[in-house]
Amino acid sequence: MMTKIALSFEFPDNLNVEKFITKLNKKIEYKLVSEHYMQKSFYDSFDWRLYNAHVLCEFNQSKNDSSLILKNSTTADNIALIKIDQVPCFANEFNRSALAYKLANLLEMRALLPLTTLELNVYKLNILNNDQKTVARLIIEDYWQFRCRVTIQPIKGYHKAAVNLHQLLVNSLSLTVIRKPILLAALKLQGRKVNDYSSKLNLQFDPDMPAGKAVKRIYKTLLKTIQINEQGVIDAIDSEFLHDFRVAIRRTRSGLSQLKRIFPSEITTYYSEYFAWLGSITSLTRDMNVYLLNIDAYKSSIPQYMREDLNPLEDFLLVKQKLAQEFLVEKLNSKKYKILLGEWEQYLKQFPAKETSPKKVLTIKQLADTQIWKVYQRVIQEGAVITKNTPAQSLHDLRKTCKKLRYLIEFFQNLYSINKIKALIKSLKGVQEVLGDFQDYEVQEDALRLFSDEMMRQQKVSSSTLLDMGVLVQKLDEKRCKARDEFARFFTEFNNPANKIIFKSLFAANSKKGK
Amino acid sequence: MKVIATYNIKGGVGKTSTTVNLAYLAAKNSHRTLVWDLDPQGASSYYFRVKPKVKGGSKTLISGKCELNGLIKGTDFDYLDLLPADFSFRNLDLVLDGRKNPTQRLQKLLQPLADEYEYIFLDCPPNISLLSEAIFEATDILLSPLIPTTLSLRTLDQLKAFIKENKNKLKNLELIYFFSMADQRKKMHKEIIASFSKQHPDLLDIIIPYASDIEKMGIKRMPLGAYTQKGRSIEAYRALWEAILKRLI
Repeated sequence: MMTKIALSFEFPDNLNVEKFITKLNKKIEYKLVSEHYMQKSFYDSFDWRLYNAHVLCEFNQSKNDSSLILKNSTTADNIALIKIDQVPCFANEFNRSALAYKLANLLEMRALLPLTTLELNVYKLNILNNDQKTVARLIIEDYWQFRCRVTIQPIKGYHKAAVNLHQLLVNSLSLTVIRKPILLAALKLQGRKVNDYSSKLNLQFDPDMPAGKAVKRIYKTLLKTIQINEQGVIDAIDSEFLHDFRVAIRRTRSGLSQLKRIFPSEITTYYSEYFAWLGSITSLTRDMNVYLLNIDAYKSSIPQYMREDLNPLEDFLLVKQKLAQEFLVEKLNSKKYKILLGEWEQYLKQFPAKETSPKKVLTIKQLADTQIWKVYQRVIQEGAVITKNTPAQSLHDLRKTCKKLRYLIEFFQNLYSINKIKALIKSLKGVQEVLGDFQDYEVQEDALRLFSDEMMRQQKVSSSTLLDMGVLVQKLDEKRCKARDEFARFFTEFNNPANKIIFKSLFAANSKKGK
Repeated sequence: MKVIATYNIKGGVGKTSTTVNLAYLAAKNSHRTLVWDLDPQGASSYYFRVKPKVKGGSKTLISGKCELNGLIKGTDFDYLDLLPADFSFRNLDLVLDGRKNPTQRLQKLLQPLADEYEYIFLDCPPNISLLSEAIFEATDILLSPLIPTTLSLRTLDQLKAFIKENKNKLKNLELIYFFSMADQRKKMHKEIIASFSKQHPDLLDIIIPYASDIEKMGIKRMPLGAYTQKGRSIEAYRALWEAILKRLI
């Protein structure tokens, strides 16, 4: 079995590259193969998808070479490398390679954004055996702002040489093993840290915390998400900025409608209207983004020889998306958007979290229990009456109720047993996905019909494109029917006796009906 | 994964130089590449400075008890690995003969490497044998260097006849042949090349010259491209690799 060894080390204070190489000279045979200045830039998505998958993305530029490397953030092993002069924004803009494939899987629709750039001198040393064969490599990185680091690059089939090198560096040259990538130190210098943005809610509450104070914290977190994503939405860096922006708006709206007892009713109404408007101005752009994200799936759902005929639809969508984006940017630069969002921020700062009941302060646990239990029961009631013949509207209504339940559970998930909550969310997600699919396919069918009318009016469409769109509508309709058929199975799974017991045990305690 | 075998029934036609230099060019373009030195003489292993030694020898290797991946050595070049030769490979025919479905054995052994490598080059020993058949069945492109001599050309006819006889089993095999070690100063070489080219329109229009810079590979112990960037020889190998890539697409 191979001995697992650390591969990255840091120099002690009293050591520099020259001294290190001199010391090495006496211990092993090596060849200095290169020495050059380099700029090392780190990249990741806005929501740290690479780092969270233990992947570092480095773009290394020197005078004669520039390459993009994916590394394992824990072991420093190279995962994939390509020679490239500029870093494309999206995974699908890379030429076909192992690196592009890996990036596509991790990033999906997210853009690859630069995080920070470091300047350094790099020394590459080949460690040789008696046949002058390279059996390991040493990469010395002499950073301008940080201590020097050295990394062992083992060569396949020469593990023993890497082990010997490791022992030499630690025992004879007193280097310290490092397990954290230089990226962390570089971000710290910028006052940043990894995972400083996540679209997921992870709010910690004391169960006895006054409900007003806790709800205010929820809204503040959501407001921060809106603000953080705002520029990305305006710049249209990738479609997920708008997605997260909209989710934060929907969550805020859901909070305002579900947690009514917290704010005075006129305030709730005032901001409910504002966030409803904010949701509505983003809808068209999001719809167009979704159609464009689906275009490859649309193409692959029809026979290969027909696929090219869908290109005019893609062009049509791109024009519509551009117009929708311009409209959205105009609205996000409007006084209404800015003033009301500022007012909301001020209100959250000033709101004294005064409880409506002077006698007894409503705790967040009581509020969460009551609301989740109430909405859960609504989900069960609405779902239980749905049969094969129920109008589609009832399924759409249930979808909205499920969404409200999901948001409430996510707001307050840390008040409950995490394993139980995860299981509930998983089973609720199943129902939501099937209802979401049912709705999406219907909306897409309708939209394609509208688009075909519009394209015909513009006289920009050939009969073959219209034929393709007709086939697409048919495919979407098949999928919609399938989703409808699958609903019963997912709802039964959600409404199983075990889930009922968990819901009751977790949330019914503070509800009169539940007792 | 594409498997490219460099093969000729005759020895000394430039098979190893072709293997090593093409593999180097593939790896230079960041394609994950493996050279499997199947020739017990171990010339490819020598060029890469790797000891011609495989733990357990040909028996263990062919039995599949030991995964090929564990026997692979990294070369001095990025993306380029080597499965070294072993003197016991002289008995590969005998070892294969003792197995069930011997001609499918190599293909089976290579399958687990499909995710690891984009190109696998097989540097084959001369002669036509059971091992050759196993190589043909595992291979996408059979690359056959020919010296412009009558004996060398005769072996091509033998090879073509063999492939024709076994066309059911080898329907996916593509034979590419080209002149190698051609000395344009020799009248005989020039004449043979001219007449053979006329008779064989499918002959690849690329000639690897007989050149001292290629011979130096033995002294430098590295592929040609690692120590020279210009000249007829490296240009010829580049053109050959381009031509192969076109066939592979």
